[in-house]
Amino acid sequence: MRIDQSHRSWSLWALAILVLASAAYVPYALTTRPSGGSIPGLLYGIAGYGMMLFAALLGARKRVPVWRLGRSQTWMRGHIWFGLLTLPMILFHSGFSARGPLASVLMALLFLVFLSGVGGAAIQHFVPGMITSMVPLETIYEEIPHVREQLLAEAEARVRVLFTEADAGAAPESAEMIELETEDRDYVAGVYRNMILPFLQHPDGGASVLADGDRAGAFFEALRRKLPATAHATIADLESICEEERQLIRQKRLYLWLHSWLLVHVPLSIALIVLGGVHAVVAWRY
Amino acid sequence: MSRGSLPDAVDPRGAGGAPVNQIELTIDDRTVTVDEGTSVFDAARIHGIPIPVLCHQQNERPVGVCRVCSVDCGERVLQASCVRPAEQGMKVQTNSEKVKKSRRMLIELLMSDHPSPCARQRKSGDCELETLARLEGITAPRFPKRVSPRGQDDSSLVISVDHEACILCDRCIRGCDEIRMNDVLGRRGKGYNAGIAFDLSRPMGNSSCVSCGECMVSCPTGALTNKSVIQTVLPGGEPVAVPELKQLPFFQRVSGTFLELNANAVIKRHFKAGEIICREGEYGSTAFYILEGTVQIFLATPMAHVSTFGGATGFFSKLTSRLTGGDRHRAGADHPRSISIDASVDLPYDNPVAELGPGELFGEMTCMNLYPRSATVRASTDCVMFEMLRNVLDVILRNKTLRSELEANYRRRALDDHLRTVPLFASLSPDFIESLASRVELIRLSKGDVICRQGDIADAFYLVRIGFVKVTEEHPGGDLVRAYLGKGGYFGEIGLLTNGLRTATVSALDHVELLRIGAEDFHDMLERFPTIKRDLTAVAREREEQNTRHMAAVTGVSLNSFLAQGLMEANSLLLIDLEKCTRCDNCVRACADAHDGVTRLIREGLRFENYLVATSCRQCRDPLCMVGCPVGSIRRRNSLEIVIEDWCVGCGLCAQNCPYGNINMHPFEVMLKDLTAPKQVKAVVKRKATSCDLCSEHAEPSCVYACPHDAAHRVDPNQFFKAYSGIKTTERA
Repeated sequence: MRIDQSHRSWSLWALAILVLASAAYVPYALTTRPSGGSIPGLLYGIAGYGMMLFAALLGARKRVPVWRLGRSQTWMRGHIWFGLLTLPMILFHSGFSARGPLASVLMALLFLVFLSGVGGAAIQHFVPGMITSMVPLETIYEEIPHVREQLLAEAEARVRVLFTEADAGAAPESAEMIELETEDRDYVAGVYRNMILPFLQHPDGGASVLADGDRAGAFFEALRRKLPATAHATIADLESICEEERQLIRQKRLYLWLHSWLLVHVPLSIALIVLGGVHAVVAWRY
Repeated sequence: MSRGSLPDAVDPRGAGGAPVNQIELTIDDRTVTVDEGTSVFDAARIHGIPIPVLCHQQNERPVGVCRVCSVDCGERVLQASCVRPAEQGMKVQTNSEKVKKSRRMLIELLMSDHPSPCARQRKSGDCELETLARLEGITAPRFPKRVSPRGQDDSSLVISVDHEACILCDRCIRGCDEIRMNDVLGRRGKGYNAGIAFDLSRPMGNSSCVSCGECMVSCPTGALTNKSVIQTVLPGGEPVAVPELKQLPFFQRVSGTFLELNANAVIKRHFKAGEIICREGEYGSTAFYILEGTVQIFLATPMAHVSTFGGATGFFSKLTSRLTGGDRHRAGADHPRSISIDASVDLPYDNPVAELGPGELFGEMTCMNLYPRSATVRASTDCVMFEMLRNVLDVILRNKTLRSELEANYRRRALDDHLRTVPLFASLSPDFIESLASRVELIRLSKGDVICRQGDIADAFYLVRIGFVKVTEEHPGGDLVRAYLGKGGYFGEIGLLTNGLRTATVSALDHVELLRIGAEDFHDMLERFPTIKRDLTAVAREREEQNTRHMAAVTGVSLNSFLAQGLMEANSLLLIDLEKCTRCDNCVRACADAHDGVTRLIREGLRFENYLVATSCRQCRDPLCMVGCPVGSIRRRNSLEIVIEDWCVGCGLCAQNCPYGNINMHPFEVMLKDLTAPKQVKAVVKRKATSCDLCSEHAEPSCVYACPHDAAHRVDPNQFFKAYSGIKTTERA
């Protein structure tokens, strides 16, 4: 989610809550030793845990997208801003210290969840724009393998006007074939089989010259210089196919950034909620 | 000399058929005797001396234009034997060197302009010109071909016209005008631009040509050829011999040659009582004419909407798609009195069943426009009927006798229903409809024909009986499509009610038949029925206001790519802000959740700067999806939303027509009466068309509601992009 002007009211409310909580904490910390078991400490803990629970409910909310439970973006904004408030609330609750192994683990988890959440928010703020500008030919993620198959088939079809598999220096087989010197035909066949085809078949390998836009540009420029003008249109087609392939690689990479942080944030959040609950029960009973 | 008679000089019988004198002449050193007045060509033919010819044939008046039959009569110049009367003592040479040289030169000149092999030569190898050229040993003419092409005319369903292959022999013109007396064919242009023309040089398919086929059988080359349907064999019937067909009034005025050439395009079929003849939604290409028996015509589809269920107010309510029928109707939808189908009757909405009997035609729209079948037809009794392809039906429908018969049937059986299909006319009294029945005109139009032009004087009100018309308004920047009207649609009232001028241009999108009510009758109707006048005035005003709103909406937007992507045609767009969208697909999941797991949106489509125009119904201003619906179940409300009515037969044509892929076919399993065993029911999968319904039960579409990132928006594109362009301009400044 892009954090922009539309978050102004949420940010002001969050700031107000933070100021109030801090204002209440200062006299409390000055007059007594802050602890989670004290009344103010318990209130901070309940508020902090409540905010955690609310933030965690976003996942459940997403599972029922058409339920009229409030717009999803409202839940998301609540998730972000209440999530941010969780850290100071829990710090006020604990008095900025963690006593005992469970509390230490919880504190570590809280920091990890907080950082991964802030990191995730930052990623989701910037990466969508990057995808939009860097991947103009973006496709549906699940369609990428299919699009790759199509690109490969298209390249195979395009290149057939330059040479055929059976062709070993023989004369052109069909009227559509471009006439090339035998040497040029062998050259372009070699380049296709050794450079372009492996890249299109295994694009995620990363080692190919064609995986890099600048180097690929130079590569195709050299190919154009080597071959006669009649073959340039086909070379341009192959170049654009490779460019589309590079965009798919970029899309996969950016999508990985866009969503992989959740692999850290979500499990840690669940652990935090569960252990937080355990901590509350244990503290209440003992 | 009157048209249709031979010139006196070559009439073999002489005036009044009285006995004529015999004359003696010599042809190629043979002395022959013929009646006085016989042409040299006929004299030679009678005595077995062949003279090649192109422009002349026995059943036509000779005109001597091709000069291929030129012979040497011992005069200063060669004479065209077809128009040169034989004379006593004449000496004729048909094969002298001079004659042969002249003939060869003529053929070579004709061949230089002839696309060899022409269509006829390719099909049957009997192009008369090419045969002559082969006999003369002419392979490649020495003369260059013409540089200005004369073109082809493929507008007729029956006959293909290749002006390139025409040698201007006029045999077709004489066949049309003198033998058939149709007076459709004539000449156009001069010099290199000369050619044959239909009416005032109209495309053949749009002319008054009755497709009798006489021109085609008269043509010596491939200029006029039959669009062969020989390969098309209609299954399940028996071929009908031409003599048998010609005995029926239906086919009496159709050319026998044409029927022979299209022997497989009409078959006789027998159906036992209870047998299904055709099913709604199926694609077909034939029409049926009932010879004996009666048929029942009905809709087997469940009368039900695909509705989204789930309380708008229920806190935990889940939405599902279901077929809902009964008394549940769409908000804003008028309760229809009848459903238009592809027959001379409409089906009552409450009990969509009707009967047709001998002499009735059904399936005309499917046959002429290749639309899906609009209803299921079952034989009520044992039936005999003709099933025919489009070219045969077209020829038949051009037959004035038959047309008047069909029109009489229509006036008797369906005009009342048809007029009352228009809710505004529901209050017309039976006596008025009866008086109107004899005065309304049935008009038949071909694709592209303009019915009325913007600015013309309004002289009639029209109701659409068959096919679709397009209503466009001309503006300096181009035409704006205001509506597509199908069967039951009407137009022309605004001009008649306001300033007397047409406010839009209306043209036929395909084979169209209209009911024309003249201005006088229209005004008479309004005077007698003030409620109709009041309602029509209200409708006219509403349409005018809508147009004004549309025009206000589309002006002032200057974003080129916005216009180039056709977004101005949209009434509502689902836009996804790609700067905000995290590609979580919550919108798609929400849509699927709201509609039984079948999403009505795909997160892919055109991009406009940082916005993605998602694949979801755009509620287009030019709703191509509406064109061709065989039962008129897809329509738009006055608010311009596209809605699919409950009698959708699931043919899928709207889904095919939508240029943006925004209509889906939604399968449902329903229990229906078994048509072959009426006492039983069986589970069948019926399809209904679905498109984005904007989750109209809710305040906001589910996709937008479920987007956690404020990226998805349903917008009026004109307002949105106008504001957007303002922001961009400010940013640039």
